[in-house]
Amino acid sequence: MRRLFSLVLSAATAAVLSSGAALSADAVKIGVVLSLSGPAAVFGIPERDAIQVAMDKLKADGKLKRPIELVIYDDKTNPTEATRMVTQAINNDKVVTIIGPGTGGNILAAGPLALRMQVPLLGPAGTMAITDKKNEFYPWVFRVAPSDRVDVKVILEDMAKSKAKKIGVFFQEDAYGKTGVDFAKEIGPTLGMEVVEAVSAPYAATDLTAQATRLRNAGVEAVFLQVSISSLGASFVKAANQVGLTAPAYANAGLAQRSFAESVGSEVDGLRVLSIGNLPYDPSEGEAELAKLLKQAGKVPQGWGELVGTNGLMTVVAAVNAQGDKEITGVTMRDTIEGLCGYPAFARGKPCFSKDSHDGWAEDSLVITELRNKELRTRR
Amino acid sequence: MTEYIVRGIQAGSIYGLLALPMSLLFATAGTIDFAVGAYALLAAAVATIVAGPLGIAVAIVAAITAAAGMGVIFLVLTRIGTKDHIVFALASFGLAVAIASFILWQFGTQAFVRASFSQFWSLGGIRISPQGVINLGLGALVTLLLYLLLYWSDLGRMMRAAAANPSGAELAGIPVARIQFGTYLAGGLLGGLAGIMILYSAGLDFTASLSLTLGGFGAAIIFGITSPLRCLLGGIAMGVAEALAAGYTSGMVTAMVPFLFVLIVLSVSNLGGAMAGDRP
Amino acid sequence: MRGLMSRPNTMIMLGLAIASVALAARDPVWIDTWVIVGVYVLIALSTGISYGQAGILSMSQGAFAAIGGYAAAVSTLRFRLPPGIDLLIAAALPALLAYGLARLVTRLTPLATALATLALGSVIEIALRNMDNITGGYIGLAGIPGIGIIDTPLKYCVLVWALICLCVLMYENLVNSPFGRALNVIRHDRTRAQADGVNVPQLLSGAFAFSAAIAGSAGWLYAHYISYISPNSLDTHTSISALLMTVIGGSGIILGPLAGTVFLDVLVRHLPAQELQGMFYGGALILILILAPTGLLGLMPALLARLRVHRGPRGTIKAATAKPEATL
Repeated sequence: MRRLFSLVLSAATAAVLSSGAALSADAVKIGVVLSLSGPAAVFGIPERDAIQVAMDKLKADGKLKRPIELVIYDDKTNPTEATRMVTQAINNDKVVTIIGPGTGGNILAAGPLALRMQVPLLGPAGTMAITDKKNEFYPWVFRVAPSDRVDVKVILEDMAKSKAKKIGVFFQEDAYGKTGVDFAKEIGPTLGMEVVEAVSAPYAATDLTAQATRLRNAGVEAVFLQVSISSLGASFVKAANQVGLTAPAYANAGLAQRSFAESVGSEVDGLRVLSIGNLPYDPSEGEAELAKLLKQAGKVPQGWGELVGTNGLMTVVAAVNAQGDKEITGVTMRDTIEGLCGYPAFARGKPCFSKDSHDGWAEDSLVITELRNKELRTRR
Repeated sequence: MTEYIVRGIQAGSIYGLLALPMSLLFATAGTIDFAVGAYALLAAAVATIVAGPLGIAVAIVAAITAAAGMGVIFLVLTRIGTKDHIVFALASFGLAVAIASFILWQFGTQAFVRASFSQFWSLGGIRISPQGVINLGLGALVTLLLYLLLYWSDLGRMMRAAAANPSGAELAGIPVARIQFGTYLAGGLLGGLAGIMILYSAGLDFTASLSLTLGGFGAAIIFGITSPLRCLLGGIAMGVAEALAAGYTSGMVTAMVPFLFVLIVLSVSNLGGAMAGDRP
Repeated sequence: MRGLMSRPNTMIMLGLAIASVALAARDPVWIDTWVIVGVYVLIALSTGISYGQAGILSMSQGAFAAIGGYAAAVSTLRFRLPPGIDLLIAAALPALLAYGLARLVTRLTPLATALATLALGSVIEIALRNMDNITGGYIGLAGIPGIGIIDTPLKYCVLVWALICLCVLMYENLVNSPFGRALNVIRHDRTRAQADGVNVPQLLSGAFAFSAAIAGSAGWLYAHYISYISPNSLDTHTSISALLMTVIGGSGIILGPLAGTVFLDVLVRHLPAQELQGMFYGGALILILILAPTGLLGLMPALLARLRVHRGPRGTIKAATAKPEATL
């Protein structure tokens, strides 16, 4: 009796000890710091939602070689908050990689922290500056979306097909808008187009007819919209229609959102909008799968936020899986990610990183869509 | 250039509507209601959710209700003996912040904009949207009604008396506190109306409330904050200035127009006449 | 020592600062939070000085802090100035601007002045984000170097709270000085002050400029700590939050802004949803204005008096409600 008891006891102890050891060695903690409130929440919330549903699916399908635990924080579209959340994630939750922060400015704010604590950031933002090699923290920041320059180039190339020579730009007064118009002025001439007039407005502008009039008076043959706030984009197309600005409009990916498509009337049918994939309306195979997961969780696909969010997640998963049973730290994650090229993701295109290039996604993840009947249909 | 001016006039009527409650309240209570922009935002948000004429009605009611909340706060503050006008303004500021946050919480970051008319009229070669004409017409109508109210009715006389000399008016049997409460309600009505007008013109989102308030204030002070007719003119002036700036200068200057208005007018004028801190 | 004894606020501040920094030092996240709270306390203090002393309800302190931050960034990044020197620029630039504006608006009612500061703050914000060549435009400036030997978060924490103690000391000195007393008279009766021979516009402008300098130094420290500054970092929202924190804590009380900042910042972390922050701040402001117009700290004398009622010597009858004492 006593021997049976001690046998059972030692077996039980062994089981407990080994499972405990297995758990602590295996679970990898990943931080998710996105803009869940503030102006960028319109992208941040879909990013987070998609990451969560994708994570659940990967767990259910057994695609993870080791358990991954996500810790989610809100950076409130504020650089100070972003640094606070990143500090918390790294110090309190001991994450080895962070998906986020959600905006260029917030990534720039958090970069020095990533460098000091040696934890890589996977930023779903197009702002050029985040992967600038001059940054001291360059080795620790990766971009999991196409960059602004690539976006502008692709949409302008489409615009050039219409043989327009004089183009006008309407941009919103923030970093996104300003970078876009600067790139348009730089890239346009290489495609035979000149930016003859550029007008702007702040987020809360109530009347854009003056801006639209100015573009019309400049005789532009095409209009480039560098806007990411749906209401601003909708106000502008209304104003353009009102003042008789009939030149065809081409919008950058900022407006590839359901809320924009649904808030404009049929008078703007034919508006071209660049998009990263086309999750809500014409999804590819991978995108359709993600859309299905979202709908099952009661979420409506909004645009491409979901895709770039999952880009970050899939990069993490690929890196974790590639390291097998070895100990995972921020440094090993960074080194592994730099070696990743071609791994499964929901978005289109082939993601590829290297020591020299921390921009993982390129033109092959973009599509040109056209607004028809409150929907963005892929052009082909 | 004429075209910019015409557009500015159309857009300015909204500023005028926002300026009217500023001037009314300043005249009757010596303070301003920071939440006027928030009432506009609330009305726009509600009218986005509830469609059609019913939506407009519900939206105006919502705006008036919010303003009634401010009115109650005002009454409570006067009851406990608050005399400093800044305190009422601060309270309205708190309410404005709370309403904007409420809208963000309930309606999210979506844009509030509705399509109105799709065909346009032509005025001497300039295309004008019927909505813009409606806005201007409404603004003028409301201004006229207010003018009639203030100078041709008993209520108006009482309001002007309360503004000129609150204690004297009290002694004469005028229910000053009730009039001031009513003025806050009027602010809700006018702000709500302005919100609906913006909804059907350019649209707005949850960040707009403070800039709308400041725009209304700027429009109110240009020609003197104490007269409603001047408010409408002030609004039009500001609309035209913004349009001209957008047409001929940079985005930076256009964005600064409402604020520069406020700064310049305050620097050169003598607002309210009384120096700060004097004993009554 | 006697000098310190006659400055109770500074003593309390010193004690609180030392205790809180020592407590925070045990955890890197607490240190980080405490540095940021420190920056906000400085900005709130500057609002308190402006409102409590000059009667100027300033909604532009965030903009002044931004100017200070950008000054620090540009001085160290572009002109490679040594780290301490840029503090002088960061404090002086907003002070000059504030002085100039104050001369224009000090003859107005407090309400009008408040609106003027709101407009000024917005103009500054717009200007800063459009001066691409200097301020980096919307993207801002990254890679701002540290402050010499201050190179760990803990040292920044010590620095900011030392600055706060210094600021409280200066504030207390101001209140007890002839200038402070003159400002007091101005607040109650401007004509009387003029009759006394006080140069009202100059004094008010000076107080406003002083508050702007404090805000500027807060911005200086922020820029070096985060090593990144953008138009979103210190803006109108910051001004509004600082104002709310000051009024809720007690604008006429020296340590009021400190109480308000700590109270609000701590509580806001526990809100169920981020979007509710505005409702919380706004609601708290309205409640305070109704229930405790002198702010949270203003409640303390009343509470202490009530305590004293119960501890009165046996047999005597104390007044049922003691009158609240004058604010500090």
